[in-house]
Amino acid sequence: MTLRTEEFVVNMGPHHPSTHGVCRLLLTLDGERVKKVEPIIGYLHRAIEKICENRTYPQCIPILDRFEYVTAMSCNYVFSLAAERLAQIEVPERAEYLRVIMLELNRIASHLLFYGVTAMDIGAYTPFLYGLRERELIIDLFEMTCGQRLTYNYIRIGGVSQDIPPEFAPKCREAVRIIGEKMSDYEGLLNENPIWLARTKGIGILKPEDAIAWGVSGPVLRASGVKHDLRRDDPYSIYDRFDFDIPVQPNGDTFDRYIQRLDEIRESLKIITQALDGLEGLEDNTIKAKVSPNFKPPAGEVYARIENSRGELGVYVISDGSKKPLRVKARGGSYNQLQALPLMCHDVMVADLVAIFATLDVIMPEVDR
Amino acid sequence: MGVMKDLKNLIAGLGITGKHLGRHAITIQYPEQRDTIPERSRGIVVLLSDKETGELNCTACQLCMRACPTGAIVVEFERDENKRKILTKFDLDNTICCFCGLCEESCNFSALKLATKYEFSTTDKDGLLWDMHKLQEVGRDVPYVDTRKKKAEKSEKKPTPKPAPKPADEQPAPKDSSEAPQPADKTPGVGDMPDKPKAAQKPDDPNDGGTDVASDNRDDDTKREGND
Amino acid sequence: MNGFSDFLELHPLFSWLFDLLKSTGLQDPWLHLVHYGALSVMMFGLLALIALFLVWWERKIAGHIQQRFGPMRHGWHGWYQTVMDAIKLLQKEDVKIALRDKPVFFWAPIVCFVAAFCVYVVMPFGENLIVADLNIGILYVLAITTWTVISLLMAGWGSNNKYALLGGMRSAAQIVSYEVPMALSILTPILFVSSLSMNDIVLSQSGPIYNWFIFRLPFGPIAFLTFIVAGTAEANRTPFDIPEAEQELVSGYNVEYSGMKFAMFFLAEFVNMFTIAAVAVTIFFGGWNGFEFLPSWLWFLGKTLLIVLLLMLFRWTYPRLRVDQLMVFAWKFLVPLTFANLIIAGLFKHLGWYW
Repeated sequence: MTLRTEEFVVNMGPHHPSTHGVCRLLLTLDGERVKKVEPIIGYLHRAIEKICENRTYPQCIPILDRFEYVTAMSCNYVFSLAAERLAQIEVPERAEYLRVIMLELNRIASHLLFYGVTAMDIGAYTPFLYGLRERELIIDLFEMTCGQRLTYNYIRIGGVSQDIPPEFAPKCREAVRIIGEKMSDYEGLLNENPIWLARTKGIGILKPEDAIAWGVSGPVLRASGVKHDLRRDDPYSIYDRFDFDIPVQPNGDTFDRYIQRLDEIRESLKIITQALDGLEGLEDNTIKAKVSPNFKPPAGEVYARIENSRGELGVYVISDGSKKPLRVKARGGSYNQLQALPLMCHDVMVADLVAIFATLDVIMPEVDR
Repeated sequence: MGVMKDLKNLIAGLGITGKHLGRHAITIQYPEQRDTIPERSRGIVVLLSDKETGELNCTACQLCMRACPTGAIVVEFERDENKRKILTKFDLDNTICCFCGLCEESCNFSALKLATKYEFSTTDKDGLLWDMHKLQEVGRDVPYVDTRKKKAEKSEKKPTPKPAPKPADEQPAPKDSSEAPQPADKTPGVGDMPDKPKAAQKPDDPNDGGTDVASDNRDDDTKREGND
Repeated sequence: MNGFSDFLELHPLFSWLFDLLKSTGLQDPWLHLVHYGALSVMMFGLLALIALFLVWWERKIAGHIQQRFGPMRHGWHGWYQTVMDAIKLLQKEDVKIALRDKPVFFWAPIVCFVAAFCVYVVMPFGENLIVADLNIGILYVLAITTWTVISLLMAGWGSNNKYALLGGMRSAAQIVSYEVPMALSILTPILFVSSLSMNDIVLSQSGPIYNWFIFRLPFGPIAFLTFIVAGTAEANRTPFDIPEAEQELVSGYNVEYSGMKFAMFFLAEFVNMFTIAAVAVTIFFGGWNGFEFLPSWLWFLGKTLLIVLLLMLFRWTYPRLRVDQLMVFAWKFLVPLTFANLIIAGLFKHLGWYW
């Protein structure tokens, strides 16, 4: 005699402690097993792209800060890159070094936040505080330079808005040193913990061909074994001057996605040290090219993309020659990763779904715009 | 054996959290203790007053209004009998200000600044809609670098015939009290950003000073009426 | 030295109470009934204070592990924070779902609360400081701690909420599964005591420190470790706190409770944690034995608080196990291990290799 079972549909609704931002997941459960996951988005749509159509290019930068606020420097930068490519502006070298330092610091801050939040979702509460303690160091550096802690409006078209104060470089080196030391704490707490391994090893495997087919990028793609990084494959800024590795992981499970981001923090620390050394040797102190405040790029369209901590952050700008862009389309890596979520959640338990979703590091504002 | 390795790692994990028990906490007890704010920190917008006369530096050029990406600033002026601008209204809606600092950068007259103050919570939305007087009052003790005087010194040093400093009786200027008075009808137009290099910049079309969020839109979607 | 600890010993208090009652002219059986009743009320009061203290201590320990302070506002370092929280919970509305199963919903928190406290009548707080020295002491403890299963099932059922029911059933399954290794790991030192009375267990560990059961290799440490693991699962603490995990879909058996009823579940959890620590200290760490410059109850409290600190460290260090991994761990790993440990201990006793 077989027991009659029924599948029931449950809403892991927009308000939930473990959906990062407002994401609604419609789960079809058979007992404890997840049979189908359907993400429903749109709860954080703020019409950013439409707003940008009515703002001048310099005004779009603070608006796009809020597009993906965890890595706001990247959002500033990608739009500036697009505008510079449209208007053929050459950025001074000091500005490029400063941009690289800020972008990599932002990447580390984002990955530290990921570390804390993922650990919290899987049940370890303490790494959250440890990750955020180090992130405070980075945010303090940002506050010292541009005045804000989360949405910076720092990287402008043609350069950066302000030069770093003299106390930045020693404090940055100190922060890099401290984070490098604390990495052993983070790894000792979780990497070989049997409970952590039981919760994350072998869960939510994403095969490399699936990852490529669904357009996944960033650490999730590299954790599946595909060695693709826009800083190498489509270099922008002065990344070709720095010496850093692109880590990849073999399996593509949850554990590998977690390890991948910790490895990337190490690589970013290397880049920052090299950039700080390069900055010291510069004589020219210009930090911004001469760009008029009524910036009017020639008519045309450009797609600029960079390697964000979540994947490929791209902005497609169509200009009609006026001081406001005709169309700004922004895309972030989280959208594709959310699309690939059902692929990884085949016949897992609800607790595993939470773990997989945590390691995808999806930021909903990037998905919904 | 795998079990012994697991056990060793579990105990090592306890060691990592346990050693923090001996360390001092790094948080501070707000509001009894406050953190030191860096001087570049972008807090609320304040209007700056002249250090000697105490009057507002603002000349109602509306550059900040046009630079603001969210439309938080509303500036209105009247012309007096000598066709000089008198500032009649300077409203700042703190509920939509995004603290980007574009207004401060666009101002040529050291009229407004994002001070490092940040403690202005209210229980009522109207408490966050600030007018000229509140902005001036909050900004009274905010230190600032008066760039108007620097520009005046620069223009005095130039040998080429720039408009010489006119005698004071020709221009009764209620707002201007700096050494170099500005010519009456010169539209400020494009100005220098404070951190630009010293080389002079070729000014752009002076009538196209920035963008006005409240009008001149592709689609008229941000037309603001009052403070709704 | 002895004078100091004699001064602080509490058992003269009990005999004084007994004499006081006798002098009022009460006869047996009322005399003993009232005497034990008074002692139980005192013990209850003490435990309520301990529970409040433990809530505060957990928050401070959690804070300092995370390099922050924890409660700081109410009193020096927030010592009466829990009192304020209790007052707040008293003021909360007691939300009752319309379709609840009324008697079950009402009695669930009471059963949980009572079960948590009933264990302590046999707990040896110090030399001669035990309310009732039953000769089946440890068996009584095991039996009473199983009452919490009933209360969880009642809470889950009475809430009329399928997620609460699921949470309650998972929790009940977890507690019942971990009863087996807990009982087996308790039995291992009991083999050497030849008595189930808690006082006898403590007395058999008197003398030098190597008499404590944890130092009796090789079965002592293994028994202690399995006991602590099983005890953590019994008390629904991380890494076994699936029933209370907020990050999961199913929020647990107490999701529909609010106000004082919720406070009862909450306090019962802390009292359960103290029970596990107290039993661990009694069986493995020598109970109230210690150097004589401190009174015995201070030794007992100190050792128990150290074990409680260990349990709190577990909570704030380790991630959470998934529910099926939890059950696999109990049945496929802990039960065979504790059986093997018991057999080895039995062998040692038979061969006389113990002291």
